[in-house]
Amino acid sequence: MKIEVKKNILATNAGLAAENRERLERHGVFMLNIMASPGAGKTSVITKAIEETRDRLNIGVIEGDIASEIDSLAIEAMEIPSIQINTGGSCHLTANMVASALDNLDLNGLDLIIIENVGNLVCPAEFDLGESARLLIASVAEGDDKPYKYPMVFREANVILVNKTDLLTHCDFNLMRFHEAVRGLNPAAAIIELSCREGDGVDEWSRWLLAAVSGGRADLPS
Amino acid sequence: MHEYAITESILEIVEEEAIRANSDRVDVVTVAIGELSTFVPDSIEFYFSEMTRGTVAEGADIRFQTLEAHAVCLACGAEFRPPQALCGCPRCGSPLFELQRGQELFVDSIEVA
Repeated sequence: MKIEVKKNILATNAGLAAENRERLERHGVFMLNIMASPGAGKTSVITKAIEETRDRLNIGVIEGDIASEIDSLAIEAMEIPSIQINTGGSCHLTANMVASALDNLDLNGLDLIIIENVGNLVCPAEFDLGESARLLIASVAEGDDKPYKYPMVFREANVILVNKTDLLTHCDFNLMRFHEAVRGLNPAAAIIELSCREGDGVDEWSRWLLAAVSGGRADLPS
Repeated sequence: MHEYAITESILEIVEEEAIRANSDRVDVVTVAIGELSTFVPDSIEFYFSEMTRGTVAEGADIRFQTLEAHAVCLACGAEFRPPQALCGCPRCGSPLFELQRGQELFVDSIEVA
């Protein structure tokens, strides 16, 4: 006997993501989901954002990694609340993992939660976590062809950072080619070039972040 | 790797439907998958055969039905089938298009004994 089912396999995740989103809206917290390849500079982008905005925003961080607490210890060393999620092999965070992390953060005392997703350009794009915005980091060392190879994640980002611009003179990374590809996939996304190491572009990145958070929360001082 | 979690969800849905149908054996599970989805059928099939041991779906055949992608250009209104590269509208070249189909992932049907 054949039974028509027609049930969305990602429905459970989508439902939990919607619950996370409502919960954050109730507390007036903006949540940023950071996606990138391993080694693109996610943790450096987060620590720069903390340094630049911590006098204006109360920040919490959710760290997703297959294993280890290296990243959350780095964030805790800055006296910023940090929850480490070890996915134990899974290549992305899911909405239920983020829900448990939210249970362990004081949402009333926070303006911004930054999620560092597992380093990967494929799977994180498929899983809604309940975030307010998605940030994608591409680094110069990875090459300018990534938007051509991983179009979905570039299409779904709200802001794209090009990190490690200090390496431009050492790598065959053509910024024009990269911009063209991103514009072709996602004309609405902001593109910010920066070097966490040298500090170039960090101002622009923190300005974007402050504007995004205050856009989500009218009561923050501008 | 993310197929592991997906296969768990498929099995949950299949078990619920089997209970609802008062059946203790599922022979076929058909999963519909959009052609732009990044989920890999071979990988789902691998996890499915392992994960279903000792369940109502043990030994069941898992089949995949690929759904064609469909997009509408927001600039000129052309309707087209976007390629994996997700480049712009084939008529006017605009990158602004709404992806209406192509990323689906659902259990379409099951066949029970």
